[in-house]
Amino acid sequence: MRVRTDDEVYRVDAVWLGPPRATFPWRARYVAWGVGIVVFLLVTAVQRQVGFGFDFINTGWGFVITVALTRFICSRISHERPLSSVLTMWVRELTAPRETTSGQGGAASAARIRVNPQRPRRRPKKGAKRASAATRSQHRGQQDRRQKEVRGVRTPA
Amino acid sequence: MFGRRRDRDRRSAAHVAQHAAAARDDRKVYSKRGRRLPGEQSVPNYTPSISARSIDGHLLRTGQEVYAWYRLAPQRWSFRSDSQRQDLIAAIAGQYAELQGRWMHLRVTNRPYPIRMWAEAHVHNAVRRLPDTPGTLSFDDYMVGEQQQLMGRSMAEKEVYLGVQVQTRNMMDRAVERAAPVLRKVFPDAVDAELVAIESEIDHLDQVIGSAGLEGRPATAEEMSWLMHRSCSLGLPAPRNLPAVPGAPWEPEDLASFTDAADFHQEPYSPTVTVRGRTGSNAGIKRHVAVLTVGLMHGLQIPEQDDPWVQRSDRLPAAVEWSARIYVRRPEEVSGELQRQMSKVRSQVRHYTDEHELDPPQSLARQASRVLEIDDEMTSGFTALGTRVRSWWRLAVSGPTEREALRLAQGLLDLYKPKVAIEHPEAQYAIAREFIPGEPLSSSAYLRRGSVLWAASAVPTATAEVGDRRGILLGETVTATRRPVAWDPWMAQELRDSSGLTAMVAGLGAGKSFLGGGIVYKTLRAGAHWTLLDPSGPLAALCELPELKPYARPINLLNAQAGILNPYRVVAEPQLDHFMDEEDPERAWRRERALAAATRRRLVLDVLSGLLPFEVARLPQTRIVLLRAVRTVGGRPDAHPGMVFEALRRDASEHHEHAVVVADFLDEMRERMSLLIPEQDLDPYNEARDDRLTVLTMAGLNLPKDGVGREHWTDAEALGVEMLNLAAWLTQRSIYERPKDLRKGVWIDEAFFLSEVPTGRVLMNRFARDSRKWNVRVLLSSQIPADFLKIQGFVTLLDSVFVGRLDDDQAQTDALRLLKVPIGAGYEQVVASLGRRPGGVRTNLERDRAPRQFIFGDGAGGVERIRIDFSGPHLEHLRNSLDTTPDALRDGAESTEVEVSSPPQDPFAYAEQYTDEYDDELAADLEVGLTDELVDSAHGEGGNRRPGREGQA
Repeated sequence: MRVRTDDEVYRVDAVWLGPPRATFPWRARYVAWGVGIVVFLLVTAVQRQVGFGFDFINTGWGFVITVALTRFICSRISHERPLSSVLTMWVRELTAPRETTSGQGGAASAARIRVNPQRPRRRPKKGAKRASAATRSQHRGQQDRRQKEVRGVRTPA
Repeated sequence: MFGRRRDRDRRSAAHVAQHAAAARDDRKVYSKRGRRLPGEQSVPNYTPSISARSIDGHLLRTGQEVYAWYRLAPQRWSFRSDSQRQDLIAAIAGQYAELQGRWMHLRVTNRPYPIRMWAEAHVHNAVRRLPDTPGTLSFDDYMVGEQQQLMGRSMAEKEVYLGVQVQTRNMMDRAVERAAPVLRKVFPDAVDAELVAIESEIDHLDQVIGSAGLEGRPATAEEMSWLMHRSCSLGLPAPRNLPAVPGAPWEPEDLASFTDAADFHQEPYSPTVTVRGRTGSNAGIKRHVAVLTVGLMHGLQIPEQDDPWVQRSDRLPAAVEWSARIYVRRPEEVSGELQRQMSKVRSQVRHYTDEHELDPPQSLARQASRVLEIDDEMTSGFTALGTRVRSWWRLAVSGPTEREALRLAQGLLDLYKPKVAIEHPEAQYAIAREFIPGEPLSSSAYLRRGSVLWAASAVPTATAEVGDRRGILLGETVTATRRPVAWDPWMAQELRDSSGLTAMVAGLGAGKSFLGGGIVYKTLRAGAHWTLLDPSGPLAALCELPELKPYARPINLLNAQAGILNPYRVVAEPQLDHFMDEEDPERAWRRERALAAATRRRLVLDVLSGLLPFEVARLPQTRIVLLRAVRTVGGRPDAHPGMVFEALRRDASEHHEHAVVVADFLDEMRERMSLLIPEQDLDPYNEARDDRLTVLTMAGLNLPKDGVGREHWTDAEALGVEMLNLAAWLTQRSIYERPKDLRKGVWIDEAFFLSEVPTGRVLMNRFARDSRKWNVRVLLSSQIPADFLKIQGFVTLLDSVFVGRLDDDQAQTDALRLLKVPIGAGYEQVVASLGRRPGGVRTNLERDRAPRQFIFGDGAGGVERIRIDFSGPHLEHLRNSLDTTPDALRDGAESTEVEVSSPPQDPFAYAEQYTDEYDDELAADLEVGLTDELVDSAHGEGGNRRPGREGQA
């Protein structure tokens, strides 16, 4: 069984040979004409910006530059790689992520954090229930503190 | 990470994910997204850096589309007929055609199975293995040697996934997904409405992809996780441990576990993209990935000449990842486009001829005719095989350095030359992202158009797999892929419930003994018990291997004790405790005993009539009197043929005279039948020894030449065949002496006689029936496949087959029949060319030491051409002992001679003077009656090399 792609059908080289009966000595695809016109406009615009006058010599040079640029661009595109894809791929090349050689951020440091070895505690009141057992008093003391300091929290009854 | 940096987001996402994991039970009620716990700060939203947004079962949702992913079943390709292959391609094309108007994403990835994992599985599987003998190759050293031999190889398994676009998502779906946290509380049904609505469509897709051809089944959560991981870490080694697969859908935050695993980056216009592992076992590992794409393609002759074009990349000695985007076009779209192309061609022709009076290029005419062809294909017939597709096919290879990756890429280019152009495009990073499920196509360059038939002829699922992953290493495949072949001879019985019958067919010097010996040696090391029947004797050398010697025993049956081949004793007596797992053990045991008795009677009848001269045996009365006598004696295990002679003499029927004549004939041969008739009070079966390896040899046995009819056999030849038959029964008996579950093996070399004696079929049936129950692998080897085919129903009983080189046309065809491979499809050539060195070797003085090749059918559907490879330095002693090729120049030839003398304590040992006497009498008998045979028997023919068989083999 012979299997093949249909690609051949879509590879029609649509060329414009020139006006009827006036065949140009070169053969250029329609896409080349299109690219050429755009490039010529761009080149002329650049020439005007740079300060070249709009005369025969300058336009002639612009024409030569256009032909060279168009030939260069058309050598890069084909049926496999249409102009739009080449442009897309060019954009993708530019926007691809790069290797980051420099690290982000720096060494983490806790030097600026104030450190206290003890948390502040409530000082025991002098003379109050001194006789009671140490553990019990501590426990109750904590309970008292919570009742006083933290408001709005219901304690278990 | 994948372009846009979202470090800040990701950190918080991980945080959310942790909370979500803790509160997984509540998932049904609340979504974790946006749900704020008391005291928790607001966390920034996380958006995955890939397009995928969620995975529900096998459905993957991106912002725009829903894809259903399927895992496609591997398809056998080698050794199938062209029509079978064409059917496969047409079936796949039909399935593609049904997916009109949809996008498909085909992904080929692989799951590596390194040799070290094989070694783990093998050691785990080697139960009750042979104890190491000090000073010899230990099991650990043997395993090290096996792994070194295949250093760095992998039994990677190709996995093919197909994603099919179910539908595109609309604004509403996306809005609902965004509002899911709120909606779940207010209107929970709305959240799942999107997936519920497409249920019937998914069912339809499941059914289309699941039918014959692609045979896809919905991908499991674990497979989706694997595919996502392999795609997001393209080119990196496989992760050793994957994060746990959640039982619930993956939500966007969960996708970070895939995207965080690796980092892609590239320099502008660099030929590769760099992938850097960040987590798990791949942390810090860098790989360069070269992404290629399929360019222009010539016409291919598939399946006649060319491999399926995606499968071809399997030949590269490295893993190749594939990603193809395929859009199946609707016919109306295509016909419009074709018309446009046609008018373009026409206008060009007009432009050349009418407007410029020039000859148009030939290509225009060709294109016009091709347009008409395609139009014709699309409109003719009722099948949809003319449906057209637009597709983009990308391949990726990776290496630790850019140079290495480019070298592999060049290898791919060369592999596909000249018919398929493989291009190396720019924008590597963007194209590499296409491999990730759910990502859009990065550029429209390198578009391939064709019919569904063309797309289907890629057959990415075609594989070249044979064997399993835990058994002994036999060698490697030599067709499309180079892949180590392992085979566990007991897997069929233990896991697949099939028989343990293996046929090994190869001509002279094709490596039959070498392969069989290697299998026996390696499985012995892994804990099996083997009994070998080798009439010619060279395999007894296995018993001399130092590590096997303490557990092995060679027995030359011709020198053994009288009565060892007593037909009444070679059939094992069933034991009651073997039937305990039956419904009615007592009854089953009784039935089995009756069967054993009948088998004994049949065997005695068969053997005795085989020993009689052909003319006498052919007479009907002979059969009648013999049958009567055998019936009189019965089927007790303690009977012997001598009793039958007595019964013949006592025959009182109308054939009394004939019975006496028959008895006289048999009595005449009594001396030569001493192995069949035990002496008084002596039973060679009284003492049983537990040996791992028993090699029964019959060196010096006289066997008939091939192609000589039964009527022309001499007495000695008839006796030889009958003794061989009895020896085979004796070999078979050995399996019943060991526990049922123990892995046992039986190898009968020169198994041609099975087709020559009537009880051969009975023996085969017993083997087929009991090999599964008793966990036995039965290897039967012969030089001529027809020997096996003559046994009725043999092919259906067979499990696996090894076919080596055969030169005769008929033998080749028969071998293919054994393999159940199409005949007349050109595979005969393959059998003829197995392991042959190309070019002029006739004048070569060197021996052909190239590894022998076999076609191996593993009984589980795999048939491949393999190369037997026991070339590791740790197996050198095995190679030397299995070298049966004569070599007069070999050093120490005496030491490698077959040792037939048995240890003195051996109960099978026979008095030496009796041996001489036996030989003398035999020689004397021959001299008196059959002088013409003396030459043959004196020289001990009957070995591996029977001259009559050489012509055909």
